[in-house]
Amino acid sequence: MVGLFTVAPLFAWGATLDSKWIKEDLSKPDLSAKYWSGIQEETVTLMAQPMVAPRPKETNTSSISVQSLHDGKWISFRLKWKDPEKNEAGRLGEFSDAVAMQFPIKSNENPPPIFMGAKDNPVHLFHWRAQYQRDQEKGKPEMRDLYPNMSVDMYPMDFKDTGHLKAMTDERKEVFSPGKIEGNPQSYRKFAVDEIFAEGFSTSSVSASHEAVGYGKWENGRWTVVISRPLNEGEGGSILQAGKNSFMGFAVWQGGKGEVGSRKSITMVWVPLSIAPAKGM
Amino acid sequence: MAKVKNWHLKREMEYPYSEHRPKRQWAIVFDLNKCIACQTCTLACKTTWTSGKGQEYMLWNNVETKPYGSYPLAWDVRILEKLGHQEWHKNGEYNGKTIFEAAEPTEKVAHFAPQDEDWMYPNVGEDDCLGDVPHGDHINIPHDKWFFYLPRTCAHCTYPACLASCPRKAIYKRDEDGIVLIDQSRCKGYGECVRACPYKKSMYNPYTRVSEKCVGCYPAVEQGLQPMCVQNCIGKIRIMGFINPPWKAREDNPVDYLVHKKGLALPYYPQLGLEPNIYYIPPIHANRDYLHQMFGPNVDEAIENYKKIRQDPVAQGLFTLMGSSDRILYSFKVENEKATGFDEKGGEIVQVPVTEHMYVRAEFDEKIGAVRSNTP
Repeated sequence: MVGLFTVAPLFAWGATLDSKWIKEDLSKPDLSAKYWSGIQEETVTLMAQPMVAPRPKETNTSSISVQSLHDGKWISFRLKWKDPEKNEAGRLGEFSDAVAMQFPIKSNENPPPIFMGAKDNPVHLFHWRAQYQRDQEKGKPEMRDLYPNMSVDMYPMDFKDTGHLKAMTDERKEVFSPGKIEGNPQSYRKFAVDEIFAEGFSTSSVSASHEAVGYGKWENGRWTVVISRPLNEGEGGSILQAGKNSFMGFAVWQGGKGEVGSRKSITMVWVPLSIAPAKGM
Repeated sequence: MAKVKNWHLKREMEYPYSEHRPKRQWAIVFDLNKCIACQTCTLACKTTWTSGKGQEYMLWNNVETKPYGSYPLAWDVRILEKLGHQEWHKNGEYNGKTIFEAAEPTEKVAHFAPQDEDWMYPNVGEDDCLGDVPHGDHINIPHDKWFFYLPRTCAHCTYPACLASCPRKAIYKRDEDGIVLIDQSRCKGYGECVRACPYKKSMYNPYTRVSEKCVGCYPAVEQGLQPMCVQNCIGKIRIMGFINPPWKAREDNPVDYLVHKKGLALPYYPQLGLEPNIYYIPPIHANRDYLHQMFGPNVDEAIENYKKIRQDPVAQGLFTLMGSSDRILYSFKVENEKATGFDEKGGEIVQVPVTEHMYVRAEFDEKIGAVRSNTP
């Protein structure tokens, strides 16, 4: 591990990200808005997550290009990376393409370790998944959507009211879906972006709040995703300010290469983020 | 990696977390000589736990025909080939590598990832025996053709690979009974446990998009009851209880008696290194090399001991107690040709005769003047 830290500064990890102010409403993610043209694209280097197993054998996504703008209330990022196939997950062993941005919470000047923060020094993550976006657009898939040729005799909780047999209430039907009953966001996602807090590896937990919005499109072997978040995420969250600096980290998952969880490409050092002052505010 | 003691291997081994044995350890003993693959256990489990969407092919308990049956497909040979050479020293120590020790540097454990198709044939190989049966063949004793049934649940291992591999720490082992559970609110469905469990008892639910596994019927266990697969076993081949490690074994504990005292029941594929807590009394007529591979070096002794049960009233008594109560037997006693099972506080749960009395009636019934017949 020591080797990694000493080697790290030798790479060109990416220049400072400049987030210019613009008089637009950035609370809606817009992939192809005119305001993106002319905004400098910074290339940020990624490498296979090297710290904990299970991890990828090789780096599948070696860089991500980043543009940023803010409107005084919302800050928006347009992210692009190469991925030869589009993956939205579904069946066993199928994983979703995804991207995440990471911000420090306690101090924008002295961020915690880049690897998902540390105990009592958490990070705020914004995790966009192609799978969640599909859910948002088309609804969560039923078993028949995933397995069109499947055949099932019956689901015992699904029988209809036939005289002496009373139909099950929706709540009772969920009895065999423990993930849903327990309110696991993974089991009934309706938002493209998860907001997550973490204090180091293995500690991430999904926040109930989901102010951030995102939208992505895969075209010609490349994802373009816009994620917009409020500058001020409120008490306990990441708070960015116009005219001030902070830091960011990135992670990319290629579902088609079996990347999920700790199998991902990540930034190995914090990328400086410079937020321009807001005019007329 | 920490060094932990694995008594199945008679040595220390590497594991990602330090050794912590629960206060009590859930365990089931199966007598494979009695299993008829009726699948009543499978259905008892399925109707209790996995009748929902995304669980269509999910069988926390299954019974497969060995050697060809396997669910998911070929799970056993596909993990064994990852271990390399598996050799046991004469003193019973395992000299090969466990799945933790054989792991590539980028992985927590040596594993194979079962695909969707692998879970689609739960009854593959059913009743297929090893070897051809040419026209005109007949039975020879000992059998040269063989198969046996292997009922399987999660083994609630002392060193679970599912728990070791979960990057979210969403899997935990309960201190009160050693049952291993996936936190259904925390799991994000990465499928690492599905890859890592060598017995393939973590399963992915594509509807809830998280992984699920046998819960050891913990709500029943908390009330002093045995799991549904055990309660419903019509062949009475199973007994669930709490096992102690050999250095804490209690002779009056049914599971300790079968595993430690009599050496009748053995863990399966102990060389994988998980210290699994389901134990099998090996089938006496199956191929011995195959049994060595599956149950380790003590299999000959276990079979010899099993053949001697007729001369051992205590062991016989315990076998009659198996399946005689839905409740967990914490201890047992055999006296005056009666076997008695007790609860945690020493209260009597059940008493059975070691040998059922046989009554022989005269062939002719003088009273009604008729010959007796067994025809109902």
